[in-house]
Amino acid sequence: MKRETFDPISLEIHWRRLISMVDEASAAFVRTSFSLLVREANDFAVLLTDPQGRSIAQSSASIPSFIGTLPATVKHMMAKFPVERMKPGDVMITNDPWMGAGHIHDVSTIMPIFYKKKLVGFAGVVSHAPDIGGRMRNAGNREIFEEGLQIPRLKIFNAGKPDQGILDMIGRNVRVPDQTLGDIFAQVAAGRMLEERLQHLLRDIDLGALGAQIRARSERAMRNAIRAVPDGVYQGHAEHDGFEEPIRIQCAVTVTGDRLSIDYTGSSPQVPRAVNVVPIYAFAYSAYAVKTLLCHEVPNNEGSFVPIKTWAPLGSIFNPRYPAASGGRSMVGQLSVPAIMMALAPVIPDRVVAEGASNSSITVTGIEDDRPYAAINFMNAGQGAARDRDGYTMLSFPSNLSNTPIEIFEQMAPVRVIERSIRRGSGGEGKRRGGDGLHFEIEAASESPMSASMIMTRYRSAPTGLFGGKPGKVGGLYLNGQPIDPAEYWTLKKGDRVVMQTAGGGGFGAK
Amino acid sequence: MNKSTHNSARASLRIAVDIGGTFTDGIAVLSPGDRIWVGKTLTTPQAPGLAVTTVMVDLLRQITAAGRMNGAAVDEVVHGTTLVTNTLIERKGARTGLVVTKGTRDVLAIGREWRYDMYDLNLEIPKVLVPENQVVEADERLDVRGDIVKRLETSTIKQVLDELSALDVEAVAVCLLHAYVNDGHEKRLAAAIKKRFPKLAVSISSAVAREIREYERMSTTVCNAYVQPLMTDYLRQLGDRVHKIAPRAQLRIMLSSGGFTSGKAAAENPILLLESGPAGGVLSALNTAHHHGIDAILAFDMGGTTAKACVAVGGEPPVAHSFECSRVSRFKRGSGLPVLIPSIDLIEIGAGGGSIAHINDLGLLNVGPESSGAVPGPACYGLGGTEATVTDADLLLGYLNPENFLGGSMKLRTDRAEAALGKLAKSLRMPTTRVAWGICSIVNGNMTAAARVHIAEKGHDPRKFTMVATGGAGPLHAVEVARNLQIPRVLAPIAAGAGSCLGLLAAPARVDRSWSNPTRVAEVNWTQLATVLAELREDAEVELASAGAAQTDLQWFIGAEMRYFGQGHNVSVSLPWRVPSPAMAAVLVQEFERRYLQLYGQVVPNAVPQVMTWRLTGRSRIRSRKFQWGDQRITAKPEMVGKRKIFLPLEEKFRAVPVYGRYSLAPGTRIRGPLVLEERESTLVVPLDAHVSVLDDYSVLVEIREFK
Repeated sequence: MKRETFDPISLEIHWRRLISMVDEASAAFVRTSFSLLVREANDFAVLLTDPQGRSIAQSSASIPSFIGTLPATVKHMMAKFPVERMKPGDVMITNDPWMGAGHIHDVSTIMPIFYKKKLVGFAGVVSHAPDIGGRMRNAGNREIFEEGLQIPRLKIFNAGKPDQGILDMIGRNVRVPDQTLGDIFAQVAAGRMLEERLQHLLRDIDLGALGAQIRARSERAMRNAIRAVPDGVYQGHAEHDGFEEPIRIQCAVTVTGDRLSIDYTGSSPQVPRAVNVVPIYAFAYSAYAVKTLLCHEVPNNEGSFVPIKTWAPLGSIFNPRYPAASGGRSMVGQLSVPAIMMALAPVIPDRVVAEGASNSSITVTGIEDDRPYAAINFMNAGQGAARDRDGYTMLSFPSNLSNTPIEIFEQMAPVRVIERSIRRGSGGEGKRRGGDGLHFEIEAASESPMSASMIMTRYRSAPTGLFGGKPGKVGGLYLNGQPIDPAEYWTLKKGDRVVMQTAGGGGFGAK
Repeated sequence: MNKSTHNSARASLRIAVDIGGTFTDGIAVLSPGDRIWVGKTLTTPQAPGLAVTTVMVDLLRQITAAGRMNGAAVDEVVHGTTLVTNTLIERKGARTGLVVTKGTRDVLAIGREWRYDMYDLNLEIPKVLVPENQVVEADERLDVRGDIVKRLETSTIKQVLDELSALDVEAVAVCLLHAYVNDGHEKRLAAAIKKRFPKLAVSISSAVAREIREYERMSTTVCNAYVQPLMTDYLRQLGDRVHKIAPRAQLRIMLSSGGFTSGKAAAENPILLLESGPAGGVLSALNTAHHHGIDAILAFDMGGTTAKACVAVGGEPPVAHSFECSRVSRFKRGSGLPVLIPSIDLIEIGAGGGSIAHINDLGLLNVGPESSGAVPGPACYGLGGTEATVTDADLLLGYLNPENFLGGSMKLRTDRAEAALGKLAKSLRMPTTRVAWGICSIVNGNMTAAARVHIAEKGHDPRKFTMVATGGAGPLHAVEVARNLQIPRVLAPIAAGAGSCLGLLAAPARVDRSWSNPTRVAEVNWTQLATVLAELREDAEVELASAGAAQTDLQWFIGAEMRYFGQGHNVSVSLPWRVPSPAMAAVLVQEFERRYLQLYGQVVPNAVPQVMTWRLTGRSRIRSRKFQWGDQRITAKPEMVGKRKIFLPLEEKFRAVPVYGRYSLAPGTRIRGPLVLEERESTLVVPLDAHVSVLDDYSVLVEIREFK
């Protein structure tokens, strides 16, 4: 007889077991992955769902981008591949931004899990591919076609047998086929590991019943947290540097009892650049903001997010029409976090944080001693202050990306780091000060030309303060002392110096 | 042969003393015969050496009383301590200055820029040991090959010295970019600093942690400088104390790596002592496993405040080369200060018997991570604790005998445990015993989960493992945790309660050296490597000799941290010593691919293997020791203490099972679980059907029937 009811002890035990299985599969995946972003920044997620595609457990270390995305991918797969015809060993794949995780660099694989020939759930893995072809990732891309290979919903394994045609097709369209295909295989292996680990548990447990309880508990906790916020409609906004003009994120947060909805009407229209944010990604970071503000211990499963809804008009920056480009969607999508913070500031002033900035980065590529090289360094900015503390100096938020050590960066590319220091005084004044940003200066040390691609955030629109706190200083990008446009690709010759400064965080409270 | 360790005709005494958070433990071993005596006293935090004296005197008294002394003298005292760890946690080290390359003054403050908890908006960032106004920049620069881009001029050195003199520091750390490949500038600076300020403790990164990654190397160097003045004093005083009691004894200091070194070498690099206690526990487990020919173990150690696990295969402790100390948030990776030191690779899997149970936001029963600590401790200690802990649950489940805790010297209060768990039971509306089993199974489940992920990361299959249980609470939880992990056998060595000391006695002398010089294997300059390794080896030989190891008894290994070019994680490879030559390339790649295959299931076609860091390890040969009790624990005939009702998880009910005094069972005894074996410092609980056998060294082997 399988267990279908759970008391507060057995539920805890079985829930932990599920999470640890998912974590075990994700540990195996991280170690086998080639993707720098997976290894260094946990830019991946592993998920277990019930037979309806509702999430039960998600890997603990994953970045917020994937909140709620994989369950949606599973449901899109079920819509195309009827469940009745799914076989053990089938694996489905896509990198469709609208169905996956917001840009084509994230490849999702979904596989049905069977127990005694019966479909009992799905294992999903999504991760940032080492390469997906197309132009280098840059905010300047105008259509999805420039961004690389699009993989529609396909069955890549049929009853355990890989579809060689699809693999060849993918391999031919990316720069590092061994690595990109290697990561896809690693995703499949992680899914299989999860299925295998589950078998033992499935002898005693009805996964559907367990999932229902998990979702119910999580949903109740989130509803209780929302109920503690006074009812009302709260407005917030945030601004991205933009291109010809700034991009505005406008949000109205409506709290009604134990439900919370976020309406992005009033935000800028979609743009012909790679910073459009598909609804699923807008939801992920909106849900992240709500969770971190109201109920940060609730686990990432479907139940926790049932009471939260987001909406944006079609054709707007948070709901773009195909073939909008979205490779740099994080630059704009993550602004939902400060916008929601600003909206809720009047009612939960003790919890909100003033604006800071997302990460910036520089990628350098070229050929030295007849060998191609590529290296990336992420740069984080000052973060906003809160009521009871100053803002953090140079900390990754809301994503979670480490810097590259100077010694490793110089090892990977012919550059010399002249300075990596705190930009003192860049944080906004206030009763609590915003955190300081970064001063990063490099010199090209290669005899042959070096291509440089920069992603900059907050070099025009300053992170704002809250409750009278002053804004932080904007960041800046300079080549040999002259400001340059980060949306362009740049070529550096020996001795050229690039200075990248990241913004300071906003202050909290009038001084 | 290691003259102090191995037999001449004369009787020889070695003593191990380990200072822990609550207790200072000691074991004396008399050779030949390897008979042991155990001593224990409360740790004396104000003057830690005091407890060392107390324990040593007590041990010698016991041996004399037993009439075993017969003119034997103490040859060697092996010492492990948490003093370095505590100094860092409590931030009680020296006022430290830091000298860095121009442009990198904020490296320590910046760290790696990531958050160790993604959902906590107010996470606490660990405080740096050196504030920004104590950092001095030197205008010098090396490139990745170690070639000079900007020379360290005499005028620059003078400027650095002048700035340092204004800082009024007691210790100085020097960490320059790319000094892992060329230590020239660091050495010149150190010499100049020592000349001008003879009293300052000076640590240079190329001597403390010669490894690429400036933040981690700088952090390690700073930690070393920060604890050095204090540790130098401590080790000198300890030497004097030992000398008074045992004039002939050499003082050896246990390192995190699982080996010991001389007191002098320890004072130079005190950061290497960081995790010496836990290392001892693993060595003890390995020693017992080795004696029984067991190759793959999960060492499981559970005490009052912490539970740890370590995967060891092939008789060697696994050594990792990065570690984190002084975490702000105990179980969160990234919340501490990174240190690049060789340390036995064990992970913390739980908060031990003191872990507190509570009801979380979701209305579910949770255990830990908060712990009641040594004071007030679990409710049943009767020392003022009112919250339900794992130990309280163990008592109510019948696993602990309230009359026999620490040999009966401390009575456990069942009523207090019932009251504490009763509160939880009431809010959960469940029977108290159900809550007790809930707490126990949740903590077992948490430990299982953490251990399982750790085993997966190492690429092993737990079904081939034997668990070796140590620590006061280890044998109590081991069988259930093993069953959850599908580990079929549990081995419980003797003296579980003083396990780390046995490990110190089984430890070899050991020295590690490293040299980062990232190069594709195909492009290694073997002549240069041979020169560097020869220099490192010469230096290591001097240290090993000072630690009492004989030349002929030494084993040498060349290690390499390898990866495919472009990857971010290293795979550690180790080869027996050979003189580096081009022929080594193939061997190295073969060994790398073997390890890679084991960890990841497949190698990467067309990828290019690269070496990031070379390592040299020298240590004395490891021999298994069969320790026996020196005191009168062993009774002549088997005796069953009685029967006691304990909770049997598989039957989900209480049943009376036999309880034996552990040392009343002679080697060769085979009995059938469920049962309980009691000894002074711990209790072995077998709550299921299993074969239980007493082995020749009084270790107990539990073979779980379910997996037969």
